[in-house]
Amino acid sequence: MKKALKVGALTLTAALALSVTVAAQAPAASYTCAKKTTVTMLGTIKPEIQDQFLAAVADYNKSQSCYTLKSIPGDRNLTFLQNVTPMYAAKHAPTIMYTLQEIPDMADKVMDWKGQRLTQLAPKGLLAAANVGGKQVGVPSTAEAFGLLYNKKVLDAAGIDPTTIKTRTDLEAAFKTLQAKGKKAIHFSAIWWSLGAHFTNIYHTDAASTHEGRLAVLDSLAAGTKDLTVDPVFKNWLSTFDMLKKYNGSAVNLTDTEYDASIADLASGNYGFMFQGNWTEPNLLQASATTDFGIMPLPISNDAKAYGNDSIPVGVPGYFMVDNTQSTATERKGAVDFLTWLYTSAAGQHHVSDPTTTTGGGMGFIPVYKQWNVPPSTFMSKAIAGFVNAGKTTEWINTYYPAGLQETVGKVSMQQYFTDKISSADLAKAIQAAWKGQVKTWRGATK
Amino acid sequence: MSQQSRSQQIRKFLTFGAIPLSIFLAVLVYPFAQGLFLTFTNWNGFKYTKLAGFENYTKSFRDPTFWATLGFTLKFVLVSVILVNAVAFGLALLVTSKLKSSNIFRTFFFIPNLIGGVVLGVIWQFIFNTAITAIARKFNIPFFQDSWLNDTNKAFWALIIVTIWQSSGYMMIIYITGLISIEQDVIEAAKVDGASPLRMLTAIKIPLMAQAFTISLFLTMRAGFMAYDVNLALTGGGPYRTTELISMHIFQEAFAFGHFGTGQAQAVLMFFMVAIAALIQVRISKRLEVQQ
Repeated sequence: MKKALKVGALTLTAALALSVTVAAQAPAASYTCAKKTTVTMLGTIKPEIQDQFLAAVADYNKSQSCYTLKSIPGDRNLTFLQNVTPMYAAKHAPTIMYTLQEIPDMADKVMDWKGQRLTQLAPKGLLAAANVGGKQVGVPSTAEAFGLLYNKKVLDAAGIDPTTIKTRTDLEAAFKTLQAKGKKAIHFSAIWWSLGAHFTNIYHTDAASTHEGRLAVLDSLAAGTKDLTVDPVFKNWLSTFDMLKKYNGSAVNLTDTEYDASIADLASGNYGFMFQGNWTEPNLLQASATTDFGIMPLPISNDAKAYGNDSIPVGVPGYFMVDNTQSTATERKGAVDFLTWLYTSAAGQHHVSDPTTTTGGGMGFIPVYKQWNVPPSTFMSKAIAGFVNAGKTTEWINTYYPAGLQETVGKVSMQQYFTDKISSADLAKAIQAAWKGQVKTWRGATK
Repeated sequence: MSQQSRSQQIRKFLTFGAIPLSIFLAVLVYPFAQGLFLTFTNWNGFKYTKLAGFENYTKSFRDPTFWATLGFTLKFVLVSVILVNAVAFGLALLVTSKLKSSNIFRTFFFIPNLIGGVVLGVIWQFIFNTAITAIARKFNIPFFQDSWLNDTNKAFWALIIVTIWQSSGYMMIIYITGLISIEQDVIEAAKVDGASPLRMLTAIKIPLMAQAFTISLFLTMRAGFMAYDVNLALTGGGPYRTTELISMHIFQEAFAFGHFGTGQAQAVLMFFMVAIAALIQVRISKRLEVQQ
């Protein structure tokens, strides 16, 4: 998801390890009903894969005689809440909804997934972010990763092996090599959501080596007792920020046109790296048909063994929820049936993670459920699977950011620091101020 | 005319007025009253559990970004009202003068108004971010080399430029109507008396078409306060959330931060502000209108 914002997850190791080993699969149950029940879903997971998703829906509707799944187009320019609140007010809520940030807001209105087949197939760690007070509010759609993306052709030509880059100094050396070869080192984007959610996550996820330790950092930030300027991980993170700014080969652009520009730049072969996520891969491949694009960790420490230095942040961009207040029992059954079909049947799995995604096949998702039979095939998804299987993944702490925090931090202080409007001490102060007094939703507290 | 009985009057009203009135009540008055009510509750977008008194209003007043946004919006309204109307009136004078191709010009000036605000914002975002900076680098013009949208003051003027480009064509039409509705004999008489073109403009044309100014000023002021689409698509509130107009601020407050109560309270405050400003403006303008 392009704006994969607040995202949930712990680790994916179990998921992918199992997905490649288990081949056998129960056949999709064929069942008959006298009359079809219409089940509605808001949107198509994300707009970029609308056609592929609707193709899956059409297949599902043909495959059985009990339910007709209908996707209601939401307004893409509006937020999830703005789409959903009028529908609830009109007593016309969609049965299936897909979101991430608003999971706590929806918890009392949706079904508990506990005991369903999909919750048994999903790795526990991935369910955690959608578990509100013991209630399994949603089930995951896929996994996404972000880090340093690279143009393999450019790195190969410069003689750079990304697997040998273990520290910040190594990375700087690679940047220098690229520049010596007449290439630009990195396109470092100032897009607010990239800075506010993903780049800040590099600090938060490297801040402690345990889940509890990372949440404790959030606790102390909310309590106003954390001094970021004395945190060695924060200092490393700042030095990395400064270095990426220094070697940034593109003009600063604070607006949304930056996203397409950065993709075009990396695809052009003039740049070696960019800081982004694997959701850009289809666009990169489209813009440059003959090149492979890889992903590697962003090492912020000069100690190669420092926590997170060798890992990429992997998480879930969104969860499926089923309304429990305005739908009938049959509609809910149909909703569960469709999603189970999508992630467990051979046809459904093909639609979800068909490798020919760039040529209009499936949605190209990285699988997160067990008993998966479609292996990853693009260069980047293979690379991600490699990190996952080696246990080299870190958490998306941005999943736990309170609503609006990444806007405040990303649009204001991070962009101000990016354009040298404020000092690093001001940045630390601004981040601390944004967190201070926040309700601890990451501890299950309600607003 | 014969006196109508009360029942006849009621029947007449029901025949012609009932449907519009009920629509007006249902889609305007009722939602407005409900919206007003919600500002006094702890509404979270779905439901409210208790009354909150004036808490949403006091919270809004204590929010420094609300005041900053308000100041920015007032500045935007003031500058855009003056410049849009000045440009529109200038264009109207131009195309009503005895130019050969005045019809073509009228069409050209009006066309930007037919393009939606979001599309316009995206086009101009490209112009400011990519086109102008590329040209400036090529010809080494430092002032334009960095995108205007990266700087608060320049982004303000970018918003103004696009707003003028979008709405002056429409206002021009209103001014043209005003200009051509002035009776020729008054103008002829002024000519005979030897009035200079400038004197004719200030003493004859402008007073006689003051109504057009009343309408145009009202429309541009309202548009300025309500501006959202160009703001969203052109600057997105950036850089550093310093170019958020009040509509966008309210939207962010409610739907990004999930503060529906304060967002709604700010919307109500904005309504009263616009209403008061509009009443004052119309009253002043009306006083300047001349009856022939």
